[in-house]
Amino acid sequence: MVFHVARKEILSTLRDRRAMVSSLLIPLLILPFMMLGLPLLLGGLFEREQTSITEIATIGLSYLPAELKTELETQNISFVEAQDLETLVKDGKYQVALDIPKSFSTQLEAGEKASLTLISKAGNLRSELNASKIQDAVSKFSEGIVTKKLESAGLSADVLEPITINNLDASSEAERSSGQLAWLIPFFIAVWTLAGGQVTALDATAGEKERGTLEALLVSPVRRIEVVLGKFLATLTFGLSASVMAILGYVLGGALLRSLFLKRLGDGAEEIVQVLGGSLQTTPLSILLLLMSALLLASLISALLISITMFARTYKEAQSYVAPLSFVMIIPAVGLQFSDFFGTNIFVYLVPILNALVLMDDIVKGQVAFLPVIATWASLIAFSALLLDFAFRSFKREGVIFRT
Amino acid sequence: MIEVTNLGKTFSDVTAISNLSFKVDAGEVYGLLGPNGAGKTTTLRILATLIEATTGKATVNGFDIKKDAEAVRKAIGVVNGGMGLYDRLTGKEVLYYFGKFYGMSKVAIDKRIKELDELLSLGETLNRRTTGFSTGMKQKIVIARAVLHDPPIIFFDEATSGLDIMARRAVMNFVKAYPSQNRAVIYSTHVMSEVEELCNRVGIIYKGKLIAENTVTELISQSGERNLENAFFKLVERSGMEVSA
Ligand SMILES: Nc1ncnc2c1ncn2[C@@H]1O[C@H](COP(=O)(O)OP(=O)(O)OP(=O)(O)O)[C@@H](O)[C@H]1O
Ligand SMILES: [Mg+2]
Repeated sequence: MVFHVARKEILSTLRDRRAMVSSLLIPLLILPFMMLGLPLLLGGLFEREQTSITEIATIGLSYLPAELKTELETQNISFVEAQDLETLVKDGKYQVALDIPKSFSTQLEAGEKASLTLISKAGNLRSELNASKIQDAVSKFSEGIVTKKLESAGLSADVLEPITINNLDASSEAERSSGQLAWLIPFFIAVWTLAGGQVTALDATAGEKERGTLEALLVSPVRRIEVVLGKFLATLTFGLSASVMAILGYVLGGALLRSLFLKRLGDGAEEIVQVLGGSLQTTPLSILLLLMSALLLASLISALLISITMFARTYKEAQSYVAPLSFVMIIPAVGLQFSDFFGTNIFVYLVPILNALVLMDDIVKGQVAFLPVIATWASLIAFSALLLDFAFRSFKREGVIFRT
Repeated sequence: MIEVTNLGKTFSDVTAISNLSFKVDAGEVYGLLGPNGAGKTTTLRILATLIEATTGKATVNGFDIKKDAEAVRKAIGVVNGGMGLYDRLTGKEVLYYFGKFYGMSKVAIDKRIKELDELLSLGETLNRRTTGFSTGMKQKIVIARAVLHDPPIIFFDEATSGLDIMARRAVMNFVKAYPSQNRAVIYSTHVMSEVEELCNRVGIIYKGKLIAENTVTELISQSGERNLENAFFKLVERSGMEVSA
C-alpha cells in the first residue's frame, strides 16, 4: 500500500506541468545559464573598460612630466582640462580626475617629494578600476625614478626587495579543480531537494485537505502509517530528482564552459572558470558517497516537509510554513564557505542538514574520512525516523486532520 | 446493523453531542435530521472511526468502533457534501486508487465500475481528469468511490449540498434505488423534503441531543402538525430546549 500511495502522488505531480518545470527543468538549466552568462558578461565588461580609452578630468596638465604622461596614455587614458574636479567626479561626468600642482615637475626634478591628488568614487567599480590604472602608471614611473637614483649611487634595484616569496599550492587536484564555489554543490542539493519535494508534499498533505479528499482516504481501510510513508516516498522522489537535475546542470554547465568558451575568452577567463568550479573532479567512489549523502539529506528534508505541511489546512497556509525552511538551508550553506575553520570537529557531523552540507563539501574536495561519513549518515537516518514518527502521530490526531 | 449507545463528544470546550442513542436495522434508511451545528457530522465521523467519542459506545456492522476500527472501515462507505477528488486523476484512476485499499483486484474494480456506471450514469467522467468536472459530475464519482467495495453500510452527510436540482435528483434517486434488505443507510441532512422522500425512520437531532425518533408519518401525527417542518419546531419546543438560530 505504501507504494500504491506513493505511485498516485508521483503520477499526480508528474501531471502538474508547472511543478515539472519548476522542480526539474529549472534546476537543470539555471546553473549552466549562470555559469556561462556570468563570465561572459563580467569578462566582457572588464575587457571593455580595460581596452577602451577613458577620458579623465585634469587641472595642471602642463606640469605633468612627459614620461609619466606617455605611461598613462599607454594605459588608454586621455586628458581633458577642466575645473572643479571633485564635483565632476561626484556627478559622474568623469570616472576619475587628477589634480597636478604647479610645483609637481620642479619638485621632482629637484629630487623632492612631490604629490598628486587623485579623485575617484570609492565603491564605484568603474571609477576604482580607472583610478587603479592611474596608480599603476604612477608607481611604475616612481619606480623608474628610484631605480635611476639607486643606479647613480651604484646600487642594484634589488635592495628594495631583498626577499622574494615563492608560492607553492599544496591543495590536491580535487580541491583545486573543484573551485572556490564547490560549496555550491551541497547547497544546491539542499535547496533543490526542498524546492522539488515541496511541490509533492504540499499536494499530498494540505492539498488533500483543501480538495476534500483526506476524509475519503481516512475512512478507507488503508493504514495511516502507510499513507504517511507513501507520501514521504513520493516527496523524496521529487526532492531527489530536483537535486540530481541541479547537479547535472552543474556538470553540464562546467562542460560547456570548458569546451565552448574557454578559448574564446582569453587568459582572464581561465581564472573565472576555475572560481566557478567548472571542472569538477569525480571518482566513482566520490559520486557514490555524494549520492548516498544526497539521498539521506533528501529524506530528512522530505520527512520535515511532510510533518510540517500536514498541519496546514490549505495550500497557502502550507506554503507559509515551508517558506522559512529555505533559510534553514541557506544559513549552514553560506557558513560552508568558512568550513576550513571548523571542519575538523566531529560534532559538526551530528547536526542534521549542516552535517550533510559539510560532508558533501568534503567529498567534492576529495578530503573525506570514514568517521564523518558514518556520523553524518547515522544522524540523518535517526532524525528522519524521528520526524516520520512525529508525522505519523500527528496524522492520527483529530486536531490535525480536522483543524477548524 | 448500527447500534449507538449514549454517545457523547466534547471538543475542548464545545459539547457537540451528548447521550446519543439509536439503532439502524438492515434494510433501513435512517434519517438524521437537524439544523446547522446540531452534531450530525460529528456523529457520523465517530461512527466512521475518524474521531473518537468522549463517552458511550457504538457498533457498526457488529464491530466495535473503538476496538475494531479497521473492520468498521471496511464495512462502510461515506459520502459527504464537501468531498472532492484528485483533480489530476481521471474518474477511473480515482476508483482504482481507492479500490486497492479495499483489497479489490483490477478485474473486480472494472466489473464493479460497469455496474456503477449503469446505476449512476458515470459516462465520460470515468475517462476524463476530474479538474473540469461540474459539482454534480464530481459527486457521482464520489458516490461510486464510496460504494465501490459494495459496503453493507453507507453514510450520507449533506450529500446534496451545493448541487443543482438535476444533480440532487440523481443523488436522491441513487439513495432510493441502492439500499436493499442487507444494507443499512444513515442519511444526514437539514433538508426536510429529502428526509420525507427517502427515509424509513428519522431521528431529530438538536444541539447534540436526539429529541425524537420515529417514521416521518408518525412524527407528524405525534406533533399534530401538517408537515415535517412544522412538526420539527413543535418537537423542539416540546423537548424543552430553546429554539435558536
Ligand atoms: N473539530 C472541531 N473542533 C471544535 N468544535 C467542533 C469541531 N467539529 C465540530 N465542532 C462543533 O460541534 C458542534 C456540532 O458540529 P457538527 O459539524 O457535528 O454539526 P452538523 O449537524 O454537522 O452541522 P452542519 O449542518 O453545519 O454540518 C458545532 O457546534 C461545531 O462548532
Ligand atoms: Mg455537518
